[in-house]
Amino acid sequence: MSRLLAALSFCFGLLASPLFAGDIEAGKAKAGVCTICHGENGISKMEYTPSLAGQPDLYIQWQLVFFRAGTRENANMRSVVEDLSNEDIRNLGAYFASLPPMKNLKPDEKPELSRKGAEAAAGRRCASCHTDNFAGTKATARLAGQREEYLIKALNEFKSGQRSGGAMAAMADVAYQLSEEEIYALAHYLAHLN
Amino acid sequence: MTSVFTRSVVACAIALSAAAISQAGAQGLKKYESGSKEFWTNPPPDWFLGDETEAQKGLAPPAGPPTGSSDAELAATIKKIKLPPGFKIEVYASGVLAARQMAWGDNGTLFVGSFGLGNVYAITDKDGKKQVKTILKGLKMPTGLAFQNGALYVIDIDKLIRYDNAEANLDNLGQGKVVYDDMPSYVAHGWKYLAADKDGWFYVPFGPPFNIGIPPTSVSQIRRVDPKTGNAEIVALGVRNSVGGDVDPRTGKYWFTENARDWISDDMPSDKLNMISKMGEHFGYPYCHQGDMPDPKFAMGHQCSEFTPPVLNLGAHVAPLGMKFYTGDQFPAEYKNNIFIAEHGSWNRHKYQGALIKRVIADPDGKNAKQEDFATGWIEGDQGYLGRPADIVLAKDGSMLVADDWAGAIYRISYSK
Repeated sequence: MSRLLAALSFCFGLLASPLFAGDIEAGKAKAGVCTICHGENGISKMEYTPSLAGQPDLYIQWQLVFFRAGTRENANMRSVVEDLSNEDIRNLGAYFASLPPMKNLKPDEKPELSRKGAEAAAGRRCASCHTDNFAGTKATARLAGQREEYLIKALNEFKSGQRSGGAMAAMADVAYQLSEEEIYALAHYLAHLN
Repeated sequence: MTSVFTRSVVACAIALSAAAISQAGAQGLKKYESGSKEFWTNPPPDWFLGDETEAQKGLAPPAGPPTGSSDAELAATIKKIKLPPGFKIEVYASGVLAARQMAWGDNGTLFVGSFGLGNVYAITDKDGKKQVKTILKGLKMPTGLAFQNGALYVIDIDKLIRYDNAEANLDNLGQGKVVYDDMPSYVAHGWKYLAADKDGWFYVPFGPPFNIGIPPTSVSQIRRVDPKTGNAEIVALGVRNSVGGDVDPRTGKYWFTENARDWISDDMPSDKLNMISKMGEHFGYPYCHQGDMPDPKFAMGHQCSEFTPPVLNLGAHVAPLGMKFYTGDQFPAEYKNNIFIAEHGSWNRHKYQGALIKRVIADPDGKNAKQEDFATGWIEGDQGYLGRPADIVLAKDGSMLVADDWAGAIYRISYSK
């Protein structure tokens, strides 16, 4: 293979690998500043800010490494991650992954939009990386139950190339092809999955 | 009777699957409109996926530890590495996240590129301790770099950038100067490797932006680029994803590793070691793989005999990347001019293989090539990695350095009697 593979890999892998887990308690102690925006227990109540609860350990770690390296740009995140050590990053990954995942308890008022979103997700092969129930795995994000307007923002950032997502740039290539309509449908569908 | 029945069932099944393949092939050809302008900026989103079978579902490039291996983990890893008698491995530097190609500065700085992280590092020695400094950030897949006449050259996906007087300016390399930019901007197989010849020209690989298909113009080739003038020529065609190569000290010819297509099976086709004997040779992609296997979809009537065969088939999904001829004096005499290859290891295979350093012995004309494992032990279980070798460079004292982009580390392998 190409190695092809991999960098962030296009789909950060679905495979098991011997990794050393971080320390959940130490991560919790370090996560105080995160709650200001990302909410108590990793459930965001702030617009355009993602929930982190139940995100895969490696996904959290990669994003922190990207923010720290400047590969992923966000003014608010930059100052927060600058001084994180590798150990802090491992612990934060373990902590957020240990929290019960976000749930969207509001009823789906636009089932027709969700149906279109499900169709788009199937057509774009989202589950190849994000898994069939969109819980994410390894370095691939959990999408089920995520904030709808954040998902729209994220997809638009991938579409414009502002965010590359990972080495293989899979998200940038997928999102480039999405219409605005598809983005709204996908975000609505995924936000209402539990 | 039973066997006749079985045979006809098998024959039917083969005929049916052949029909399915050719139908899928027609669709596949239609789908990749690689002649379109848009293709140049945005390759197909499923470029790394294939026509995977049910049994292949779930095979994907594994995610490494984002923060690399800690020093304690590295200490445990190197205890598991097996080498021939007399050789020893140690950690040269850690915290070199996503480490890829390495190059020496004239004054002993080790420059290291990286994969998607976008960093370039400089490793220097201070009072016997290695210091790792990030000297460039935010580049696009700066896997390939080289050092020449005091300047550091880095590939930023579609630009070859020169940073003058680099070792004196590690704190601020500046913007650099783009010396060559006739390259596509997409990431898909767009990461590169640089190898200089005696004239100071670089060999630069251009991979196709998908697993298999009819390559768009100007890729699936290796070019030779003059960084002084920006002139370039095509030296090899029909090359899939090559991320390693070296000039033979015996002949001046360019040898290179090549990753074969995915999604055929665990054992086919084999990745390759090639040599360019004459300018413009065609190495077979996408029509023929491993020298003797026509592509089930894209052979399109071509015979393997039309193309230059590999010097050596290295094995399926071993992922050969960086390579070097051994020109040092430290290893035993029989290693002189042997080739060492860093195999990155599998992802598109149920049981991983590769992830080792291979030794290849071959005549200057590529004949009588044989291979053996030199350093092994980075695979754990069927699909686990402790590390993944990505590049090799020789140190002045004849020892060998190995970059590992999984562990984010550089190892040193040395020999003493």
